[in-house]
Amino acid sequence: MEERILRFISALRASGVRVSLAESADGLRAVRAAGVGDRNRFHVSLRAALIKERRGLAIFDQLFPVFFDHAAGPSLPDVAGDLSPQEAELLAEGLRQFSESLGRTIERLLRGEPLSDEELERVGRAVGLQQVDDLRYREWIIERMRRALRLREVQEILGELEETLLRLGLQDERVKQIRAQIDASQRALEGQLLSYAGQQLAGNMAARPRPNDVQALMARPFDRLSEADMERLRHEVRRLAAALRSTVALRQRHARSGQLDAKATLRANLRYAGVPMELRHRDRHLKPKLVVVCDVSASMRHISELMLSLLHALQDQVRTTHAFAFIDRLEYISPDLARGEAHQAVAQVLARMPAGYYNTDLGSSLADFDRRHLALLDSRTTFIVVGDGRNNFNEPRLDLFAKFVRRSRRALWLTPEPRPLWGTGDSDMHRYAERCGAVFVVTNLGELAAAVDRLLAGV
Amino acid sequence: MTQRFESPDQVRQALSQQTYIAGDEIATITYLAQELGKPILAEGPAGVGKTELAKAIAGALGRELIRLQCYEGLDETKALYEWEYAKQLLYTQLLRDKVQASLRRTKTLGEAADRLSREEDVFFSMRFLLQRPLLRAILSPEPVVLLVDEIDRADAEFEAFLLEVLSDYQVSVPEVGTLRAVHVPLVVLTSNNTRDLSEALKRRCLYLFIDYPTLEQELRVVRLKVPGLAEDLARQAVELVQRLRQGELRKAPSISETLDWARSLVVLNARALDAQTLERTLTVLLKHEADLRRAQTLLAMPRRAPASGGAVGHA
Repeated sequence: MEERILRFISALRASGVRVSLAESADGLRAVRAAGVGDRNRFHVSLRAALIKERRGLAIFDQLFPVFFDHAAGPSLPDVAGDLSPQEAELLAEGLRQFSESLGRTIERLLRGEPLSDEELERVGRAVGLQQVDDLRYREWIIERMRRALRLREVQEILGELEETLLRLGLQDERVKQIRAQIDASQRALEGQLLSYAGQQLAGNMAARPRPNDVQALMARPFDRLSEADMERLRHEVRRLAAALRSTVALRQRHARSGQLDAKATLRANLRYAGVPMELRHRDRHLKPKLVVVCDVSASMRHISELMLSLLHALQDQVRTTHAFAFIDRLEYISPDLARGEAHQAVAQVLARMPAGYYNTDLGSSLADFDRRHLALLDSRTTFIVVGDGRNNFNEPRLDLFAKFVRRSRRALWLTPEPRPLWGTGDSDMHRYAERCGAVFVVTNLGELAAAVDRLLAGV
Repeated sequence: MTQRFESPDQVRQALSQQTYIAGDEIATITYLAQELGKPILAEGPAGVGKTELAKAIAGALGRELIRLQCYEGLDETKALYEWEYAKQLLYTQLLRDKVQASLRRTKTLGEAADRLSREEDVFFSMRFLLQRPLLRAILSPEPVVLLVDEIDRADAEFEAFLLEVLSDYQVSVPEVGTLRAVHVPLVVLTSNNTRDLSEALKRRCLYLFIDYPTLEQELRVVRLKVPGLAEDLARQAVELVQRLRQGELRKAPSISETLDWARSLVVLNARALDAQTLERTLTVLLKHEADLRRAQTLLAMPRRAPASGGAVGHA
């Protein structure tokens, strides 16, 4: 069992969940304390010890059955054994009408014999299991293995076999028993295939080499990121956020030079009999309030998503963040962000948007904001737009934008387009830029992180 | 009242006696926390009963609950211990004569200093140590439950400091020495997930994610905590809350708000969830103007709506 748990843990790691050595030891201790008798309890205790964040829960729940269902090989009742010689002969005759290999498969099912490790390996090799390292292909692989074992065909001819056996004079009850036996064996074998294939896939995933060029990836422009790259950058964002957080915290500590706090000074200097040896100052650091409006149309989706997850990871450095997403209208995205990862939140928002042809329209989104959320902007708010300023020749509503800039403490714009492209085609970027406090051109994650750092610094 | 849980099933029973409805997951993890001596890190949206869990555990075990509420700027002197300087000063003043008497027979300055340093322990002893929640939890002669509430609000530095206390259950006070826990306390940390906690802290905890309850679970909680509410009205109310949570609100109603609402329905002696009742009481559930307006459109609540059925609809 322990070995199986350890393999399960390496599969979890391969799927991107961080499980430390100490945690895997805890997992084993937890399982020992709670016991493995109750499956649900086993599941819960292993999960509590191994998974420490919400996004890992889903991966755990997906992988768990692969490793721990059908834990023991199927032990099957053997009907073939207690057939009388006469009945066995009838059965053999009934099977003669099918091809030899099919007949052998059915006999095997009747004997209720589980697949041996070598057989599983042979079938796996035959269907190319070694080359696949993605759990999403599990169903497909299993279907191919089923075919290779001819289980499909068996299912198809069962009716025929039943009829033949009845015609040959086997008792009705006996035939039913045989049928039930074949079904049960088949289910057991499929269970075996399911867990074998899942574990092999997880093993392949664990063995997959991980390219270590995160730095290169951080410098790659957003529009040239593949989905796999994004997957890795999503992990990177967390590390980046931790680094940003410590620089921001350091900067704040050095910047502490506010008013003298008389009360705190008195208290602190009690130990020196009231002689003020250590001065205490009021912490004048004001955390910014952020309102972020992100373009989530196809061209902007990556940068918006990374921006949102970066901001979410830095929540403790700001007072509040209200995040909005838009394409042709505005959606409030903060509740979705609180519930899950940024890319899921973006996906949920996209699902709420009308399907089909998207027409980016910042103007009408600004009007939405004006109508419904204007109260969020005050003299302590930093108003941030993440977008390329390409408005599909819609009315840009510069008046509203200027109004928002006026109302807020600062207004920033993050765009992936370099300056020379502003104002070309349907771009209104140059016109927004004149009204905006600062525009950051961010073309990759590295630049995005630098922009966020500047944003948090300049309160 | 037991001092230890025997099994996950017993945890669940004991918690339900404290009017806390625990699922299999909560019961198992609570049991594990006791068995492995590890803190529980309970995460989830606000108001789903994370803090309540710690209270219920303390009640079930008959232990004292020591609570440390985290906030920005919380530091060791507020969380762990502080020397009582005022008291120390007072004592030195009052004991001045005594000190001088004992120094009188010394001849040189060096001798006097030696003599004084022998008495130093008097002034840096437990007598002058002001115990804050963490130290109290560690030094308590009886086993306790320690609740570190909303750890995500504290600074990252405090988290690192907490780590030291939670991994060894000991504290070193330079003047006194290392203070070891008499009993390992059962620790519950809660987090609203407003920021990511450090890996190191998470590694030391058992993770428990508490989400909004399902309709049946929430209904059981309402029945248990607000027994005065009529059965069908309770169901309607919970259905409505569940529906509101599906909607796109700035702050979804929590269980505690459901309970407040249920109580106000009892107080107002409401018979059905008609438009008027809703209008009067919805503010208990929703705390933002925008949310209220959205809820009103969401519930399609015209003023002359027929009672209950029409307003509540089907979730």
